[in-house]
Amino acid sequence: MSEVKLAAEQRTEFGKGAARRTRRAGKIPAVLYGHGSDPQHLALPALEFARVVREHGQNAVLTLDFGSGAELALTKTVTTHPLKNYIEHVDLLLVKRGEKVTVEVPVVITGEAAPGTLLTQDLTTLQVEADALNIPDQVELSIAGVTAGTQINAAEVPLPSGTTLVTDPAALVLAVNAAPTAEQMEAEIDAEGAGVVEEAPETSQD
Amino acid sequence: MLIPRRVKHRKQHHPKRSGAAKGGTKVTFGEFGIQALEPAYVTNRQIESARIAINRHIRRGGKVWINIFPDRPLTKKPAETRMGSGKGSPEYWVANVKPGRVVFEMSFPNEQIAREALRRAIHKLPMKCRIVTREGGDF
Repeated sequence: MSEVKLAAEQRTEFGKGAARRTRRAGKIPAVLYGHGSDPQHLALPALEFARVVREHGQNAVLTLDFGSGAELALTKTVTTHPLKNYIEHVDLLLVKRGEKVTVEVPVVITGEAAPGTLLTQDLTTLQVEADALNIPDQVELSIAGVTAGTQINAAEVPLPSGTTLVTDPAALVLAVNAAPTAEQMEAEIDAEGAGVVEEAPETSQD
Repeated sequence: MLIPRRVKHRKQHHPKRSGAAKGGTKVTFGEFGIQALEPAYVTNRQIESARIAINRHIRRGGKVWINIFPDRPLTKKPAETRMGSGKGSPEYWVANVKPGRVVFEMSFPNEQIAREALRRAIHKLPMKCRIVTREGGDF
């Protein structure tokens, strides 16, 4: 995972109104904490931070430049607006060089399963522990030729060297099942859609 | 059709329609989803109709998730009845959907077919919606 430089400035006013003023000025309100230090309230340039997330992912290690000094930080949470698709707030975690951190790494599936199968992915990310400056971008999992009835657990996902799994090893990552046939789906629709009699739900006797 | 098995009160007040969705705003189970852009009461009939529209289009090889449940009863007085004599009887079961809520999700290998299936399902729903993907849009 690459290291990215980002200019940050300290925020002096807080609250809803101040946060909105910060956003109107093209910045994102952010907070930096970790290692027992007091939280620092920051403002990050909105377009530049969005570019970092887009190009390097949410696990990018940021070098925050305050002018007087610099700090290494990792993105912990990015809060986005549910409809308008812009970043509302960012939580940053202070990290040190050589420190091990626990992060969520996306699982990318490669290859095609056997024809006539349906892939159900239960986990799209895995929690792993890695060196703060060597976080893997993604974990690749090949399903080429996998037949129906196969289940792959977290422990079976190959991880890059220097990375250890934190997620429960028995957690199901993906399952490959036989796809329902057209007749089965049509039969299901007919059974559920036609002539369903609604019964009034019972009222509990209190 | 979706209906609660047991309720504490048969007749309830109307659910609040203001505000945006607090959770369930991302696609989490499947690859594509339908996101509500307006507040609406979605009845169990509309949910069922949308589900059937998706299943009829994809035919086979996909999976559909319904993320909302119609747990609120709406009452209605019979036609040509004088006012008074108490509240009407439960007529509909609705899910109170707020803007931003992902109401349906699906996974299907072919994106074009999946989008067409969701487009057909949107026509069965009472609010403006859009199709969203798990990766989401760029910021």
